[in-house]
Amino acid sequence: MIDSLFAAFIFPGLLYVLLWTIGLFWFFRKFIASLHKRVGPSFNGKGGSYQTLFDLSKLLTKESITPDGVNPYLFSIMPLLALIIAMLPSAFIPWMDGLVVVDSSYGLLALVILIGIEPFLLFLTGFGSNNKYSFLGGVRILTQSISMETTFFLASLSPALLFGTMNLTEIVTSSSWLSFLILLPAFAIYFVALLGLLEQPPFNIPDAEQEIVYGFYTEYSGTNYFLLKLAEFAEFMAVFAGATTLFLGAYKGIYFDSYFFFFMKMLGIAVAMMTIRAATPRITLAQMLSFSWKYMVPLALLNLAWVLFAKSLWFMGA
Amino acid sequence: MLKILDFFDYAKSESLWMAHFCTGCCSLEMAAAMGPRYDWERYGYLPTPTPRQADVLMITGLVSKKILPALLRTYAQMPDPKYVVAMGACSFDGGPYNESLSVIKNPTEILPADVFIAGCPPKPEAIIEGLEQVKLKIKNGEPSAASQGGLWKEMEF
Amino acid sequence: MKNLRKIVEEFSCEYVENYKKIWIKAKLNSKNDLLTLANALKKEGLRSLSTVSPTDFLEDHIMEVNYFFEDLETKRNLWLKIDLPRKVEECKVESLTPLFPSAAWHEREAFSMFGVEFLHHPDLRDILKSEDFRGVYPFRKDFDWGAHEKNQMQNIQQIVDAFKKEQEENEIELDPDSSETMLNWGPTHPASGPIRLRVHCDGEEVISIDPDIGYVWRALEHLVTKKDFVGAIVAVERLCFMDNINSMVGYCMAVEEIADVKITPFASWMRVLLGEVARVSSHFMGLGGFFNNIGLHTLGMWNMDTREFFLDFLESYSGARIATASIEPGGVRYGLDMSMFDELQKALDKFDTTVGEVEAIFVKNPTMKLRSDNVGILSKEDVHEFGLSGIVARASGVKTDIRIDEPYAAYDELDLKYITQEGGSANDRFMMLFRDIKQSIEIIKQAKFHIEKAVAEGEMNPTKDHMVKVPKKLPKGEAISRVEWARGEVLMHLVTEEKAKSPYRLKMRAPSFNHTMMLNHLLKGRTLSDIPLIFGSLYICQGDLDR
Repeated sequence: MIDSLFAAFIFPGLLYVLLWTIGLFWFFRKFIASLHKRVGPSFNGKGGSYQTLFDLSKLLTKESITPDGVNPYLFSIMPLLALIIAMLPSAFIPWMDGLVVVDSSYGLLALVILIGIEPFLLFLTGFGSNNKYSFLGGVRILTQSISMETTFFLASLSPALLFGTMNLTEIVTSSSWLSFLILLPAFAIYFVALLGLLEQPPFNIPDAEQEIVYGFYTEYSGTNYFLLKLAEFAEFMAVFAGATTLFLGAYKGIYFDSYFFFFMKMLGIAVAMMTIRAATPRITLAQMLSFSWKYMVPLALLNLAWVLFAKSLWFMGA
Repeated sequence: MLKILDFFDYAKSESLWMAHFCTGCCSLEMAAAMGPRYDWERYGYLPTPTPRQADVLMITGLVSKKILPALLRTYAQMPDPKYVVAMGACSFDGGPYNESLSVIKNPTEILPADVFIAGCPPKPEAIIEGLEQVKLKIKNGEPSAASQGGLWKEMEF
Repeated sequence: MKNLRKIVEEFSCEYVENYKKIWIKAKLNSKNDLLTLANALKKEGLRSLSTVSPTDFLEDHIMEVNYFFEDLETKRNLWLKIDLPRKVEECKVESLTPLFPSAAWHEREAFSMFGVEFLHHPDLRDILKSEDFRGVYPFRKDFDWGAHEKNQMQNIQQIVDAFKKEQEENEIELDPDSSETMLNWGPTHPASGPIRLRVHCDGEEVISIDPDIGYVWRALEHLVTKKDFVGAIVAVERLCFMDNINSMVGYCMAVEEIADVKITPFASWMRVLLGEVARVSSHFMGLGGFFNNIGLHTLGMWNMDTREFFLDFLESYSGARIATASIEPGGVRYGLDMSMFDELQKALDKFDTTVGEVEAIFVKNPTMKLRSDNVGILSKEDVHEFGLSGIVARASGVKTDIRIDEPYAAYDELDLKYITQEGGSANDRFMMLFRDIKQSIEIIKQAKFHIEKAVAEGEMNPTKDHMVKVPKKLPKGEAISRVEWARGEVLMHLVTEEKAKSPYRLKMRAPSFNHTMMLNHLLKGRTLSDIPLIFGSLYICQGDLDR
């Protein structure tokens, strides 16, 4: 009982997600600012490190407006639901040796499905906002997730194919330098799909500020926006942690194994994502669709063939 | 308990987000204040794409008659507590456009502002200083001027 | 030139005369000849109508309409005048919009401000002015502004009501079963600025766009008539703050022409130098804005960093970063301390060190090319028909640059070439902007070198030569001046009365007005994602759009 409460509210549950959100939000702002030749948050705490704490706390105390003409239940329940669904995948992630809340033999399946239904919830937030821009954003996120998730699923399957198991703990324990090299193309495909799934440039089409204001976020304010923001960062964590577990050997380090390595690997992915964010403009929906279906999906299928080939070559005896 | 509430009040004052709305020329200097040399994000200011997430409405310079309904709607869409900053000479008394046909000479009578920033256009340093005054106002617990009165309350928009 | 004169002389004219080097000025006797003459002009090659500018002569009971025809290829221009009766009911003339599409909005403007009715205009609605001016014509000399402003709150309520009504009626005409809808792209929109595009769209696809402008309409053309000739520069420079110096240069040239004053070489070189600094600082915003509009803020920030150094120079020269008010009739306002050039040198050095990385990361950015190639293509024909100018015209391969066509200040002593870009897509306009910055930097370097040399040799006195006295009262007269502004051609038409202290009428023809007209043409049938891109690539400033 205490164990499950601890898992739900402390680690890897609510408190962990909160700390991660505050930390990563601050890190994003600082990192982007340095690429912009700016300083970023600076005067609150050391290096402005309290800034995002203040920002998120402020959102909690602001008025949460429910616009006229929306279904208030749908409008207010969706952010909460989105947050819960976004937090669930971390229960299946082996954060440390032996530290996994649900050690299921279908862990991988649960991970990709929980990540995969998140965009549908965000579509509902846009659908329930009674705002043209929100609705357009919702439709865009649905279109984008359908085309990007195919690639994402195919790329996530390759470790399962290689190791013959869907248990995430087993995948981590059987990973090695050799498997890392074999899975490198799969990781690259996963990374591109990740950009699309998390609405990051060049695929930040659903919340394109200059086109449709803020997409599905447009009508949300106060606590509801706080929950959505939290859900967004929890989703970041789930997808980054997924990549780390599936391809980068999770907590495995150079001399010793520790959560520290897990965290650094997630941070590395975040840095790569931010660098792309600072150097790539947005593409259009049509370009994203043709890119995804004409190049990414065939590549992901080819990659599966490569994984099978590599398995027959090196992992036959194992 | 008191300490926790104090913390939230303090957080409110230290995190000001601006609605993205430009009514006049001063938005050019606002862009400069966002830029690398002045970088107002150091103080925690952040522009937001929609008024729903904003705390501060900047009247960037002149308010023409035609843009007034949009300005008032933007203000109404912001969540409480919300503050108004009037930039430049134009938003005080029309400034160089005092004799113009179409510029409202006293926009802050309609939508009262908490802080006026002088200049035509104000320098980026002045803009940041003005926003620091808003922070002080929130820290002192003063209600915003627009919530106290102003002609906007009597108008239907 | 002779051909053109011959064509005009075939019609019964009060006078036909040569004006400046490349203009012919003529006044038609009868307004019935206008359409036939316009047809002949179009055949001759004068395909763009720059602007339509009525002047209201209250005492003579005449509404004089000025047409400015231009030929961008051979650089021949015609200034045509027609007298109309002043009474609103009789103030009518044939519309030229069917022949010259560029006239569409200019005629609408003349209609809204002066009540000149253009017969057979396809879409003669009010433009720019707000709801409370409906049915009255604010730029007419007998318009009583004091009486109009007495019940200001009522006026405002009228505007608010009209706004509400329009929002409610937005979708009434649309088919309720289809997915068509009306989107308000602006004025509260992250990328729009104070302009509203009424986007009629079907899902993501744009069916048509109707720009609603006038959100920063300050009636500058009316405002200057209340100020004296020097005070008017405050209004003129606020045409658009991004490049304010060149608009002041244009106005001062017109005043100097009427006053018959010739400025000193030092002042004309300073005008070139300051004008190019302002142009560069505007182009930096334009380049950044182009990328901001497709979701990348890094270039905007980097350019802002470089731009600050150029503003430092303006600040050291005039005391203000942006609102410099440094060009005045008779020269430039302030003398020059040669140490101010140190600031300029810093800016030039900063540019030279950063231009390489900007080019490598952003100008050659493959994603940007993917987005903007083959998007928003303007052909040469469009440029001529719609009277486009500046960056937009040159990106389509039309060789037009007032600095070379009709040199002013000291541009005739400079080594200048047309830079053009073939293709006319959004990407070409971006490239054009970038190359224009490079050219301007070269001009700044040349001008700086020239001034330094002349000062060292004692030919110029930087502290005393900057001004020539211009009388406070000007004689009756009329002048036009054209300058190459950051966004394109600015044409100033100044009319003065005898012993006047302030301008009687000033028409400012600003490029963004024509460029905004193109939005519907370019965006029809494209998707919502292209709106910010094309909008940004046209390099529109709402300030000079509304005036």
